[in-house]
Amino acid sequence: MAQGWGDGLPLIPPTPDRVQDFLIAGGRFPDELIAPLPPLRAECTVEKIAINAVMAGCTGDAMPLLCAAIEAMADPMFDLAGLNATTGSVVPALIVNGPIRNRLDIPYQAGCLGGVAGPAVAIGRAIRLIMRNVAGQVIGATSQSVYGTPGRVAGIVFAEWEERSPWAPLAERRGVLGDAVTAYGAMGTANICDVVANEADGFLDMIAKSMAYPGANGFLPSSAFSEALCVINPIWAEVIGRAYPDITDVQAYLWDKCALSIDSFRPEYRDPIGNLGRIKPDGRVHLVPKPEDMLVMVGGGEGGLHAAMLHSWGTCLTVTRPVVAA
Amino acid sequence: MTIILDPSASLAHDITDPGPDAGSLAGKKIAIRIDMLWRSWDWVSDIWAQGLRAEGADVAFWRSCGRTGQEGVEADRDYAALLAKSDMAIVGLGNCGSCTSWTIADALTAAATGIPTIAVATAHFEGLAHNLAKRGGRSGLRLHILPYPLDILPKEQVHDIARDHYRPFLRGFGVRSRLAEQSAA
Repeated sequence: MAQGWGDGLPLIPPTPDRVQDFLIAGGRFPDELIAPLPPLRAECTVEKIAINAVMAGCTGDAMPLLCAAIEAMADPMFDLAGLNATTGSVVPALIVNGPIRNRLDIPYQAGCLGGVAGPAVAIGRAIRLIMRNVAGQVIGATSQSVYGTPGRVAGIVFAEWEERSPWAPLAERRGVLGDAVTAYGAMGTANICDVVANEADGFLDMIAKSMAYPGANGFLPSSAFSEALCVINPIWAEVIGRAYPDITDVQAYLWDKCALSIDSFRPEYRDPIGNLGRIKPDGRVHLVPKPEDMLVMVGGGEGGLHAAMLHSWGTCLTVTRPVVAA
Repeated sequence: MTIILDPSASLAHDITDPGPDAGSLAGKKIAIRIDMLWRSWDWVSDIWAQGLRAEGADVAFWRSCGRTGQEGVEADRDYAALLAKSDMAIVGLGNCGSCTSWTIADALTAAATGIPTIAVATAHFEGLAHNLAKRGGRSGLRLHILPYPLDILPKEQVHDIARDHYRPFLRGFGVRSRLAEQSAA
């Protein structure tokens, strides 16, 4: 802790024996470079991941997921340099698909976005320690986050309830079959509640309109593009899936309704938004430029009633990578 | 005694030299990097460009937009092409976390080509800019600091600030001109 390696919580000492066990579990050479990580742009090797994973309280079988997650976050599309320095409250959320969900006990049912006791907490914390210790993301020194977010302590690590989804898994729709991790720059999580709707369009209207708030990064007059993610509970998903068995129709519906009239913005916002070409002929501005930028997945408890929305940050683009077993 | 392994990483090298002075402005091609975020930087750089042109320089603006995806690939290519035909670079504005990150990244890219380079940030983000430059391997990167907050000020006031800062900016950039030398005296 005195070295500045910690997050305020107790740490497991990364002894050579413990780290060695993780390296064996990961099945990769310790000096293998995963990626240079900004802002420090220092090299993140498999060994550095293992050391931080030990400190966080992970188990060794999480190593392939951790390596894949770091690879995804280091993709230039993800803009980790900007994300780790921003005044925004963004944290990379990790979404897990494939059989590894169950092997690692990554939550996708009730409480999946936080609160479930299990390995996901330590996995998320390991990613956060890697950002601190390897990437050099330190509040006040490199990160300028005005508020931060609780997700910056133990991350946001959850999975998709694939068995209850009417649609193909998120990662598969993004081109990766089987075990996969998707890194998404999340401006926290927020809840959408609806106790009235009982058919697909009602649920989707509520989700879309809730996501279209003017302070979202996607509406910034400087944002040419962005993404958005909604997590639909399995009860709603079943209803929506019957009406819209093709996920692209769901995305198109949400995209269309998730918009604000340009007239709802104060006058000084209108020209900058217009200069980006974001005002449609009908006078609306959509949160995300295209339907495919509206990411949709299934997760959460069977209590229904709620969906979760995770707005994206800046021009950070979602990246999916396969998780390769040792 | 328990041995523990180091979880941190660091860069092995650091360039502390600020790089070449801007020198004379006459006949030089100067790239000014602006962005989508800060109207105040548009206003400041407009004023500075007028001064630079009056000294005989040829000023070209380049606006940084989306830096990821295909748009980002094209932006990087355009920026590299601009630097290739420029004699010096002025890169701004560091006025938030991510934009300071991109400002310093673009300044480091320019400095790496060997041309005189200066980054511009506002006072609140000065520490971040220095940190990022150091962590980017070039702690000597020239940096000019404008007041903060800047972007909420009216245009006329920002223009006044731009004019007040022009001579110190020239000096920090290592410009050799009558104006810079007079003000240094």
